[in-house]
Amino acid sequence: MAASEQDRNPGPESYEEGVERLEQIIDRLDSGQAGLRETLELCREGRDLVNYCAAELDAVGEDLKELKLDELAERLAAGTP
Amino acid sequence: MGQALAPDRVTLPGPFAVGRYARKLEEEMRRRARVSLIGEVTGLSRSKAQAYFELRDAEGAIPCAIWLSDLEKLALPEIGLRDGAEVVIGGGPDYYRGGAQASPAFYFRATQIRLAGEGDLIARLEALRKQLRAEGLFELQRRLARPRLPKRIGVVTAESGAARRDLLAGLERRGWRGTIVWAFAPVQDRHAAPAIAGAIQGLAAQPEVEAIVVTRGGGSLADLWAFCDETLCRTVAMLRVPVISAIGHERDSTLIDDVVAVACSTPTHAAEAAVPLDLRAARDELARRAVALRRAAAGAVATRTPHLVALARGPARALRRERLDLNRKTREIRAAAERGVAERRGFQRRLVAVVLERARRRAAGPDLERRREALRRAAVALRAHEPEHTLERGYALVEGEDGEPLTSAAATRAADRVSLRFADGSVRARPEPGT
Repeated sequence: MAASEQDRNPGPESYEEGVERLEQIIDRLDSGQAGLRETLELCREGRDLVNYCAAELDAVGEDLKELKLDELAERLAAGTP
Repeated sequence: MGQALAPDRVTLPGPFAVGRYARKLEEEMRRRARVSLIGEVTGLSRSKAQAYFELRDAEGAIPCAIWLSDLEKLALPEIGLRDGAEVVIGGGPDYYRGGAQASPAFYFRATQIRLAGEGDLIARLEALRKQLRAEGLFELQRRLARPRLPKRIGVVTAESGAARRDLLAGLERRGWRGTIVWAFAPVQDRHAAPAIAGAIQGLAAQPEVEAIVVTRGGGSLADLWAFCDETLCRTVAMLRVPVISAIGHERDSTLIDDVVAVACSTPTHAAEAAVPLDLRAARDELARRAVALRRAAAGAVATRTPHLVALARGPARALRRERLDLNRKTREIRAAAERGVAERRGFQRRLVAVVLERARRRAAGPDLERRREALRRAAVALRAHEPEHTLERGYALVEGEDGEPLTSAAATRAADRVSLRFADGSVRARPEPGT
């Protein structure tokens, strides 16, 4: 059980990392070298990555927010996000 | 012509020897006050000993010369003294009277030259650029990783200006609608440098600012001079957040362009550098990858289906194979058993034949005669012991009423009747009591 948790991919830290891993997965699947178990695991990981990348795109694709540095600094100093 | 010369003959001193006059002229020229002149360099050429050029402006020109030994002492930047450069020269008029083989000439003999106006700024900029490059400050920002999809961007620019509008338009074209943190600052002339440096540092201190854009519109080098400030450029070079510059127009080159991660020619380009990913294209690409993933997954299953089906059919097939194998073995065993019985029967038949043969041989061989003779002798011996032969010699056999021989006197006395058997017949008798 512990071994399988170590093997599990911790997930990408950025959009570009997610896309890079996704390309690796597609290349691996296209190669036909992956066994059935690996194929199923790669497909599951690939679906998670597609969802992650789509969420990252959505995060900067909805509404433009504009802040002023002075205001931001004041808010941070006051402890409000 | 003759009429024109006529008055000179009367009123002018001389005639003087021209060489003497030339020397006097030379002395006169060299006595004139030393001044500095400003103008543009044209027709620059060099001999073995001197550099020659004309210093010119819209109203006129002066031929100039400087000894190369003096020029080298000035340590001008390489691009400094060139055609088109605006320079300030120090010196005075000079006249070379020529010689037997050399032509006379008039020059403004320069002993000092410095670049003027933007030329002066450019020279100072070049010196500073050389120094910062030597210190390795041009490489630091370029080595920083730039996120392709930052969520928060800091921008240093003038609050009102085309640069701000152009940057927003560029980000909108990318489809990017994250968070912009504005740090407005004066961006005009060299006095703005500390405020710009402070704004950049303030943005870099915000934990979620992933890239900083510094931008302003075009202007003269003097207008943009704040972005050549040594302190500002050293500050930017040392930041750990990538800085993207778009200062002035394409032809303008400020020192900050050398130390930033990416130098762009326009605010629009800066928007593209700050958000390298085109979100619309990225969405399409992600959709294609999702399709590719599904296709790869489906393909992986499809290619394995025949194998899976074969695996599913495997037990029945294996069972059938085992059954066939078992049947074959059963047939083999039966056949082997039948072969064994036949062999045993053959063996028994062979054994009986051997026994019979031996019996036949025994029956037919010399042993039979020998045994017949022995038998005959035994019969003679046996007959010699028969009672009848004894009776023939005069003996009688006493038998009881039951025919059993009485072999003692007591047994005979005890019997009521006896039979005396002779060779020719029996005589019944009664023993006398008390005898």
